[in-house]
Amino acid sequence: LNQQGFLPAGSIFQEAFVDITIVLPLGILGLGIVLQLVFSRVLKAKGKGWLAFITGLAAFGAVLSLLPTITRGDPLSQTFLPWDQNIPLAVYVDGLSLVFGLMATGIGSAILLYCVQYMEHEPEDVTRFYVLMLTFISGLVGLVFLANLLLVYLCWEVIGLCSYFLVGYWYKQNAAAEGARKVLVMTHIPGYGLLVAILLLYHQSGSFLWTDPAVSAAFSTGIFILILVAAMAKSVMFPLHTWIPEAMNAPTPVSALLHSACYVKAGVYLIARMYSLAKWPQAWNTTVLVIGCVTILIGAIFALVQTDLKRLLAFSTISQLGYIITGLGLGTDLGLAAGLFYCFSHGLFKGTLFLCAGAVQHSTGTRDMRNLGGLAKKMPKTAAIWLIAASAIIGVPLTNGFVAKWLLLDAALDAKQGLVVIVAWLVSVFTAFYILKATVSTFYGEMPANLKSKEIHDAEPSMVVGMSFLAGLCVLFGLAPQLLMNGVIAPAVKGLGFNWAVTTSWLGLQTTSAGVGVTLGAGMVVAALLLGGLVLALTRGSRPEPGQVGLFSGGDPLPDASTVTAVDFAASAEEAFTPVYNWTNPDRLYLVIWRGIKELAGKADQVMEPVCNSYPLVASIVLVAVIFAAVWLF
Amino acid sequence: MMNSILMNTMAGPAWDGLFAGVFALLLAAILVYAIAIPQGGKGWWLLTILSGGLVIASFMVGQGQARSLMLDAAALLAVALVWLEGSKDARSAAQTYLVMLVLAIICMEAGTILGGEGGTAPAAPMDKVAVALLIAGFGLKLALAPAYFWLPRVAGAAKPMTSALIVSIIDIGAFVELAQLRTEMTWVFDDHRGLWIGIALLTMFVGAILALAQTNIKKMLAYSTMDDMGYLLLGLAAGSAIGISGAIAGAISHAFFKVVLFGAVGAAEYKSGKELTFGCKGMSASYPVTGAAFILGAIGMIGVPPFFGFIGRWRLYLAGIETGGIWLALAMIAATALALLYYVRAIHKVWLGAPVEATKAGESKLAAAVLIVLVVLMLAAGLCPGWLTGMIG
Repeated sequence: LNQQGFLPAGSIFQEAFVDITIVLPLGILGLGIVLQLVFSRVLKAKGKGWLAFITGLAAFGAVLSLLPTITRGDPLSQTFLPWDQNIPLAVYVDGLSLVFGLMATGIGSAILLYCVQYMEHEPEDVTRFYVLMLTFISGLVGLVFLANLLLVYLCWEVIGLCSYFLVGYWYKQNAAAEGARKVLVMTHIPGYGLLVAILLLYHQSGSFLWTDPAVSAAFSTGIFILILVAAMAKSVMFPLHTWIPEAMNAPTPVSALLHSACYVKAGVYLIARMYSLAKWPQAWNTTVLVIGCVTILIGAIFALVQTDLKRLLAFSTISQLGYIITGLGLGTDLGLAAGLFYCFSHGLFKGTLFLCAGAVQHSTGTRDMRNLGGLAKKMPKTAAIWLIAASAIIGVPLTNGFVAKWLLLDAALDAKQGLVVIVAWLVSVFTAFYILKATVSTFYGEMPANLKSKEIHDAEPSMVVGMSFLAGLCVLFGLAPQLLMNGVIAPAVKGLGFNWAVTTSWLGLQTTSAGVGVTLGAGMVVAALLLGGLVLALTRGSRPEPGQVGLFSGGDPLPDASTVTAVDFAASAEEAFTPVYNWTNPDRLYLVIWRGIKELAGKADQVMEPVCNSYPLVASIVLVAVIFAAVWLF
Repeated sequence: MMNSILMNTMAGPAWDGLFAGVFALLLAAILVYAIAIPQGGKGWWLLTILSGGLVIASFMVGQGQARSLMLDAAALLAVALVWLEGSKDARSAAQTYLVMLVLAIICMEAGTILGGEGGTAPAAPMDKVAVALLIAGFGLKLALAPAYFWLPRVAGAAKPMTSALIVSIIDIGAFVELAQLRTEMTWVFDDHRGLWIGIALLTMFVGAILALAQTNIKKMLAYSTMDDMGYLLLGLAAGSAIGISGAIAGAISHAFFKVVLFGAVGAAEYKSGKELTFGCKGMSASYPVTGAAFILGAIGMIGVPPFFGFIGRWRLYLAGIETGGIWLALAMIAATALALLYYVRAIHKVWLGAPVEATKAGESKLAAAVLIVLVVLMLAAGLCPGWLTGMIG
């Protein structure tokens, strides 16, 4: 061991060490899948859940074990036996791989822990569930660990198939099946962009390894666009985002994994990885920035009008992914740091929010906010955890969401992208609106009559621990973001070829870049918040009773019947944004395309069916004559 | 600048052994399935074993006239199999199949004789006559567009395993014969590459569009066979090592998955006692394993990883790029997108969702096991394709 306690680089011992550890996460997950199948008839649902959780945790540990080497700036690589003829099975793990590997296995493990009791009484076959969940996680780990682009595409599609089968887990329900169909069609078809890009790269360079300099030399704008299209569909970028709200009829842990760690983040990885393959011209950055900003806006505007808790969170994912992509699109070290930190943070707080929504649905049997309310009393632990994650997504100081938004705004200011700052700031306000709406509608106010008659209980212990772990990290990385920034994000940004000039302090207050002025502004915001808290404390005695809304109406509080509800809010937002909803819903265009294809198919069948049934011989002889003519002509 | 991943194309004995093995495995699967889900009486068993056995034997005797004769005989026995179904539709379909098959055999034999032995083209105009006859012959036999008329009728009228035998063993046997021809009489393709590519694209799109119009799932599978055959033909038309290798890998995947797809439909039809159409929603509720086999088979059929179909498909797309640039590749992708649409439509109209009516519970475990074994084999081959692609070349 050297002075830092690591094995010396290039030593025979390190080679042996690397040989095992670099594939250990995938090996553990593979073993977990096999064990699930082997013990499917022996273990009960809870046992299968524990087995899956232990598998995820062990894989997380294996990914974590790579951290010291990667933090030192040494990427790990290994080539194994040929996979297909002389195409190698090559593994390459750098800082970027590790960011996503940690998210997939770490957040994935917390979600699997949550599943232990969530899926305990599931009547459907839970072996299928856990096998798919572990394969889902393996798919993302494979995607980010493999250097062979064909295998990258294989993992890309494995993730896609897992999401299809998991969204359609309750396949006997029409809503689940239809949602799964939309996921498959809308993400698989654009995914061919990635395959064609890989084949074009191979055609030009003769290599399938993205680490090969010849591949970088062959990278072009056309290839960038093809990969971007594939990434946009996976990462719910406008206009390829409309599948995600329909995917909400899955078991909630699936939604959590899909939104936080394994699915939508695959596209983010792909966009970030393109920095390894080529130096981006300004036009590429601008394209990504425009897509990112439009997505930020569209997602938030649609989130405002939702009354289904999970659909609201789904639209919020679209908006949040826009932030992440915008960070990457800035193309500076601070921008990339912001994008990747935001990506990790989003995984934590969005995972938590979904798990809380799942706990609410599990307990009340509904996720319709019109039929929810006052749950904080019955579900105090869930409500507390929700509040932490809600604060994080809004960007309240002391949470990781604040640091992420701060970094992003700072990076945009640094890059002189004023429009990005305005969009990000404006949508932060929207985010606060819709998240507060969800919070109040679900956890506060008067409990509706339909819930009063139900026996509502808080989340089960394993669910609480899973949620708390993620929420705890939201706070930890909000208080000490440098832990994540220096340990995980910095190697990733440096690995993409950028200099690292980002300094992160406690609480994530940037003081070394263009955001100094903003930092001062933030100080004022914090002061205002403290002042507000003081006012609240002083006026405690005059607060309205439960059931009444804390609106100042010019006199006495409003009567119960006049309270503002989620529906009222949604209705006014819907009314205000009607033209926006009409013009920004691409489903209308997809429907026109589908109807056109169907009409063409119907007409073709009308023409060919009689020929096929009544005159096959005559038609065949005519066709033989046509073939003769064609041979002579061509 | 491209370095081929392939050393060379390994036609001849390597393919013969490989396909003899593949066909033997598929014939065994068809017969085991038929034990669980009866396909016909003694006549069906005899003709199926004879027909399948002839195809296997033809790949054991090696290339030459004997193989052609055995493959033709196997196809004629398949006509008898369709006839044996006894229904009016089946006999009418058998008649069409027979007439077109005879026409195909005449054209193929005449084309081969005129084309002569060896790799050089005969003098004009015999070269063009030979090429036209070969295109017409193989077009009729393989149901390429626009000469596909027998296939939807046969698939609609025959028992599922009869269709599977025809599509997966007899047709693929004929396709391998065409692939052998590609490596021996290269001028047949090289001098008319545009025409072959045109037919391949036409077959792909006509098959895909017509499949999308169907509401009967067996007819949809027939048109999807056409669609897939277009891809395989494109690989041969491209003529590069990667194209031919993709076509052969694709043919293996096609053969396996078509048995799975026809088998799943047959099992559900037999147990439910009704013909599967797009009105039968939610069949997976009663037949979950069979439904899973169909869904995985459909996904494998369009070349989605990690199934072996992907190993063939990426080679074919690459061959498309080599031959016609990105536009040909994008055309192939567009046809695949159509294939995804019609398969997904079938999956969601027939198998998934809430069942429209309560069907007789319980599925044949033996038949379901056969289908799942075939799917697992294709999955294993897709995850570790080296051993199989090594044999293809």
